[in-house]
Amino acid sequence: MEITIKIFRYDPEKDERGHYETYVVEGDENDRVLDVLELVKGKTDGSLAFRRSCAHGVCGSDAMRINGRNHLACKTLVRDVGANITVEPLLGLKVAKDLIVDMEPFFDNYKKMLPYMINDSPLPADGKERLQSPEQRARFDESTKCIMCAACTTACPSYWASDEYYGPAAIVAAHRFIFDSRDEGASQRLHILSETDGTARCHTAYNCTEACPRDIKITKAIGEVKMAMITGKLD
Amino acid sequence: MGLKRNVGLMTALRYKGQGPFLTYILHRIGGLGMAIFVTTHILATFVEGKGWQIGDIINDIYISPFFQVFFLFGVLFHIINGMRITILDLFPKLILYHRQAIMIEWVIFIVVYSFAAITTITTAIARL
Repeated sequence: MEITIKIFRYDPEKDERGHYETYVVEGDENDRVLDVLELVKGKTDGSLAFRRSCAHGVCGSDAMRINGRNHLACKTLVRDVGANITVEPLLGLKVAKDLIVDMEPFFDNYKKMLPYMINDSPLPADGKERLQSPEQRARFDESTKCIMCAACTTACPSYWASDEYYGPAAIVAAHRFIFDSRDEGASQRLHILSETDGTARCHTAYNCTEACPRDIKITKAIGEVKMAMITGKLD
Repeated sequence: MGLKRNVGLMTALRYKGQGPFLTYILHRIGGLGMAIFVTTHILATFVEGKGWQIGDIINDIYISPFFQVFFLFGVLFHIINGMRITILDLFPKLILYHRQAIMIEWVIFIVVYSFAAITTITTAIARL
């Protein structure tokens, strides 16, 4: 089948502003949008720039706007978006080239969440490991699935307004540790999230939940963090 | 180096965020409508007090059935959507059912708004 793909193009060495270029390629309805981009880059225009790595929805490299909405290009089939495809870079981050955005502000916000285990207590008597029940593990299971693709954060209207807002992905990262029974840094993270740029900026637009390629219920996770801040309980 | 990150209003509105994003946008339009109404009301009262004729003109605008039907849309949507947001904020576990919550919200809104709009229009017609 014939696939028409309109791609946002921007070369910082040549262009003052971005523009769109349209390519027509022969493909299959079961191709992924990433395959179509590879076809364009391989056969038509080698200067096209986009990120990709595992190509199986695990690394989170190829998040982009496909037909006006954030998706992973490697998890989006042509048959699901139609033969006329528009591909644009993520919103709210600087465009470095074509579909590549500067992820630094996104990762800076992630780092602010102290995304590592904090536990200064002595090890258990056997000196081996801090045990956790299946129920305790289930409490934060969903937020461990995040692949840091930025599809959620760059779909958030509050983040579009200001990248000072930590954003949904960073809050999900905080959620993963706040509700981990082995961690002792919940109060530090809740304090960080109670600042002006924290959870108060979430206005429940649900764009993050809709955009997440891992089906994480992000708004629910943010809601749980909000409740933990209000009640001081991690139940 | 690179394009600016700023997202313009039109770019933001073009994002295809589906049903929940639509309620987010309408909620803000409703809030803006209320702010405009209150401002207009205060302004009209002030200039009427001064005896300026412009006060009557502003009054005519906001008591007109067209304005009221538009205003009712904004206010009622803002209230009903706000109630949904509050309930889901207080009970995060219910957020799993946000799509169903939005459908219920639309049903309630359509019933309440239809009643209010029809009442406003029939009252206006009766005054003719």
